[in-house]
Amino acid sequence: MNAFHDRVTTRRKFLKETLFGVAFLSVSRLMPSEALLAGELSQVPKNLLFFSPREYLIFESVAERIIGLPRPGQPGVKDVGVASRADEFLAGADPEVQDQLHQLFTVFNAPFFTFLFDLRFVSFVNMSGPDKDSYILDWMTSKFGFRRTAFQALKRVSLSMFYTDSRSWKEIGYEGMFMPEDRR
Amino acid sequence: MIVRSSEINGPVRESADVCIVGSGCGGGASAKVLAEAGKKVIVVEEGGYYTSKDFDATEQTAYQHLYQQRAGQATDDLAVTVLQGRCVGGSSTVNWTTSLRTPDFVLEAWRRDYGVRGLSSKELEPYFERVERYLSIHNEPVENHNPNNRLILDGAKKLGFRASAVGRNTKDCVKAGACGLGCPYDAKQSVDITYIPDAVKKGATVFANFRANKIEVTSKTKRVSGIVFDHQTQKPKTNFIIEAPVVIVAASAINSPVLLLKSNLANSSGELGKNLTFHLTSAVLGVFDEIMYGAGGIPQSAMSDEFLNKNHDGGGFWLEAVPVYPTLAALALPGFGSIHRELLHQYPHIGATIILVKETDSNGRVTVNDHGRASISYTLRDKDLGYLKQGVAVGARVQFAAGAKRVITLHARLTEFNSPDEIDHKLAASNWGMNEIGLYSAHPLGTCRMGSDPRKSIVDDHCQTHDVKGLFVIDGSVTPTSLGVNPQVTILAIAEKSAEWIAGNFTDIKAR
Repeated sequence: MNAFHDRVTTRRKFLKETLFGVAFLSVSRLMPSEALLAGELSQVPKNLLFFSPREYLIFESVAERIIGLPRPGQPGVKDVGVASRADEFLAGADPEVQDQLHQLFTVFNAPFFTFLFDLRFVSFVNMSGPDKDSYILDWMTSKFGFRRTAFQALKRVSLSMFYTDSRSWKEIGYEGMFMPEDRR
Repeated sequence: MIVRSSEINGPVRESADVCIVGSGCGGGASAKVLAEAGKKVIVVEEGGYYTSKDFDATEQTAYQHLYQQRAGQATDDLAVTVLQGRCVGGSSTVNWTTSLRTPDFVLEAWRRDYGVRGLSSKELEPYFERVERYLSIHNEPVENHNPNNRLILDGAKKLGFRASAVGRNTKDCVKAGACGLGCPYDAKQSVDITYIPDAVKKGATVFANFRANKIEVTSKTKRVSGIVFDHQTQKPKTNFIIEAPVVIVAASAINSPVLLLKSNLANSSGELGKNLTFHLTSAVLGVFDEIMYGAGGIPQSAMSDEFLNKNHDGGGFWLEAVPVYPTLAALALPGFGSIHRELLHQYPHIGATIILVKETDSNGRVTVNDHGRASISYTLRDKDLGYLKQGVAVGARVQFAAGAKRVITLHARLTEFNSPDEIDHKLAASNWGMNEIGLYSAHPLGTCRMGSDPRKSIVDDHCQTHDVKGLFVIDGSVTPTSLGVNPQVTILAIAEKSAEWIAGNFTDIKAR
């Protein structure tokens, strides 16, 4: 039997697997780490539907690394409004998924966990670009199933929000669909 | 008539001869047959009602309005993305038109292993013929295959593998490629423009944005109740109750068991929600010198069935093409960041071949989560994992034979071959665990399986639940096994046959 598929990983089990993380959340929140965030919080759109302002910044930072930095003339995460679009998208998600994502953003960013997972006592948003990539790669290839699941969640939301937007199409050579003449 | 929730201003209380939950292949075909037989039919559909004028052929609009969970539905561990329609017409509105009969060896296994009667190839023949005629199912001539489909025919032929065109349910197709996004031309003969309008012509009523939450059974009738949603905000607007002596659950292999589990019905066997099969799917992406542009042209018109049931064990795999829409491509490509973005720059040159595994030893389960929604789990076991690995290798060889310069798998870590010689050792070194390889399903089946033994199955040969007379399940959840082919023709044929039986025995069913 396949090592990773021989047990049924339900959402409940997924939550249980991350409970060790939740137990430390209160500790991690006390850590001095997010000086950079403070200035940027004022830039976050008001009236968010799903993210807290802090989660919004964390997600935007993750999305930038997952989508990849643009070459000159290509759109970036902010150009397409990936975080705002994700906020609207996730506001309509299954409540259980929403709960897990809120949990994930805290675990993913908290210095306690970046230290635990990557031996760096710095929050994700305060890492350098290469360090962020290295940290994300660790999640993608982790031997712990819940970290790979978390990476998948972040990748799916980031890429979906970027590539469903027509501003991303020119770069990859997608021309849109052939539509009836009266609707082109 | 088809009623949108915007036309609803207060609680809905209706009665009918038959209430059908779901308007996809199972629900739509049942509605037509029963309405034509003179029954008062009410269909409740969780998703919205859209027409070709609403379809703008973008992934954004389609995923948001036409797909379950905005195309984000997945197993709980996110290892398998499960694509399903959520609109009037169900998955037929967003599928890629492939229309194939149930293989003989599958129907024989249902008879032999599950005691299913009345569904042999011979007995289904008139229903297959009727469905094929009604939906204009035909094979495309060779000049109509786009490069992405032609590569399967060419590559398989060079390797000596069997390959051919597949049936498609289209009429006057303009080859735009938008099948998966809702056909803007009404060329695809999906349920929303065929069975449903014909049912409505005979008096059926379809309520869109009505989510059934519970079925209650009394001595006199059955009561389906649920919530009416605002079609724009998706927020609850009011509630509904439909009373009918006959209820057909046709909400798909994911949501039919959820509704029955929440209603505490039809589960004396303990099998409800179990036996989920996915027709588990992965892909290989070939990079060609020439432009492939897999988003354009007919998305799925060819296949290779060389390896389906080749070992006479009821398993194996099948190769088909897939439309290379930008978001689908982005999600499928491995890795992230600059490597991922550079890969996407090859987009016009990518040809995509999917590998669909007909399960033998793998299965999953649908349960109900704390919020009353589906919780999906799936276990991939050794034999089917072996077929998946073999399928990826064969798919890569077909791509090379058709002219690919390099071939990429869907492994999370970039796994690519620059020649066929690299395939075997690189695949042997790859990880195949949960979320280490991209996996999909567009054909979930089997969670309310049919059989003669009430201890091991949910419904009988007529799709009537063993436990509750007058309560039927008619959709992909009744298939006892994975099909190995795209399921819409199977579901339509079973639905037409079962609905005919209901119409012919209505007085008796109603009296019980």
